Amino acid sequence: MIEITDLHKKYSRNFVALKGLNLLLDNRVSTIIGRNGAGKTTLLRILSTQLYPTKGTAIIEGYDIIKETRKVRSIISSIPQEAQPIGILSPMEQIKLYLIARGFTAQQAGKEARFALDELDMDEFRNSPSDTLSGGMKRKMFVAMALASNSDVIFLDEPTTGLDPLSRMEVWSAIKRLKSKIILTTHYMDEAQELSDFVAVMDQGDVISRGTIKEILKAFDGKMRAERIDGETYDIKVGNIAVKYIDKSKVDEFLRMGYDIKQVNLNDVFLTRGMNLES
Amino acid sequence: MNPRFIGYFAWYYGFFVIKRGPSYLVASLSLPLTLLFMVGILSHGNLISFALIGGLVSIIASNCINGAADAAFFRLQIKIQDLFVATKITPGDYMMGLIMSYLVFSIPGIVLYAILGLYWHVFTIGSVLPIILILIAVTISISNIAFIIAGSMKHIRNVWGITAVLSIVMTVLPPVFYPYTFLPKIALYVLSASPVTPAAVLLQGYVGLEQLNYTTNLMVLILFAETVILTILGRQFIKWRE
Repeated sequence: MIEITDLHKKYSRNFVALKGLNLLLDNRVSTIIGRNGAGKTTLLRILSTQLYPTKGTAIIEGYDIIKETRKVRSIISSIPQEAQPIGILSPMEQIKLYLIARGFTAQQAGKEARFALDELDMDEFRNSPSDTLSGGMKRKMFVAMALASNSDVIFLDEPTTGLDPLSRMEVWSAIKRLKSKIILTTHYMDEAQELSDFVAVMDQGDVISRGTIKEILKAFDGKMRAERIDGETYDIKVGNIAVKYIDKSKVDEFLRMGYDIKQVNLNDVFLTRGMNLES
Repeated sequence: MNPRFIGYFAWYYGFFVIKRGPSYLVASLSLPLTLLFMVGILSHGNLISFALIGGLVSIIASNCINGAADAAFFRLQIKIQDLFVATKITPGDYMMGLIMSYLVFSIPGIVLYAILGLYWHVFTIGSVLPIILILIAVTISISNIAFIIAGSMKHIRNVWGITAVLSIVMTVLPPVFYPYTFLPKIALYVLSASPVTPAAVLLQGYVGLEQLNYTTNLMVLILFAETVILTILGRQFIKWRE
């Protein structure tokens, strides 16, 4: 279980990244979603002991991230956002080096690395220098690293950013095979929907919504999203796109007005922040 | 201290760079070998011993200072440093792993210069131990300058330019390819800001190219002090947990 209490982070020039965040994460896959700059990476870097908070703390599986850093580090693995392998080393060598840093013997490290690469169907590329791998394979290598570590908690910061749809699906499949507790961040709503048991939606350094995807989307029950460029009827305008949340009974009416009708998804949590959908 | 990690890191990032990217090795040897040739020709062979001993320091120092680009790249671009923060290793292990990898990467150059030095009778049995100690001090001190530079960088874009300039300033300007006695005293002391200068002065003294005197004694102190101070500063600048 991860218990985050009153977590603040203020960077230089008074930029506030986290504003007293409180959150309990106790599911197998918990996802922190949010737009760029929402504070997701800051939160993950604090939880994985790479960054000090300005105020507040978090307890991971009973260990305080500030007072018991060494113990926390012994039970977590953290794959940073945009992490790239050292090009000259092979996946086998990178994973082995990482496991040795985690305290494995060379023999154990080799065995676990081989198992993880095999498990994620990367055995063929085991000894190829990493700079010859595709973007998806490189990200899968980091997932294999997390798998091999046998950590209790794994932090994955935007594991599929910049990947093509097929590579993303490959990484998702790899993540699903991890048996540890996973905390991942993403700004892809479909990724959150695909992988998560629990979602926390972050915006401007705070959690604006939390729960299962079904719970979060409860406010949209019976609603559809109608969109039209330069439409005159709208709840919100994004650029020149008019967005209106309508009851399902009004779909035909809005289709006749030239609107596109879409299913509501997690993107709409951001779009409707501060709005009363009942009105 | 995690010697297993340090050993593997040094082997992987030292030896495998030589094996899989030999062009880096050729690049690291090209400047000192060119200067050796130039000094040999221009001095009619009289200063070849200085260029040999200087080349030895120059290879290690330039490999270590170029490590600033690696350290910055690992921290800012490919996030390898972040990856290692949340493990059992300490910043000291990580830094020592990188330092040792530069030393491993320098081995072919060291061997080449050792062979050339033996051929030209530059080295004596008695000078081997001081040479090793001086080269270790240069490796540690210059690597820590690299960590200070890497830790000060907020963006990766300038680091290659800075290290290229520093590599020249720190390994060619100091008296590595010419006798330190050619320099006015004041210039010698100014250039002593780079650990390469005291190292070069000491090497010239210990292999018998120059006399061991007050200046060399002073340079022992300067090199020792710089190694200690730079190691402490390097540890502060590495930005392990920000």
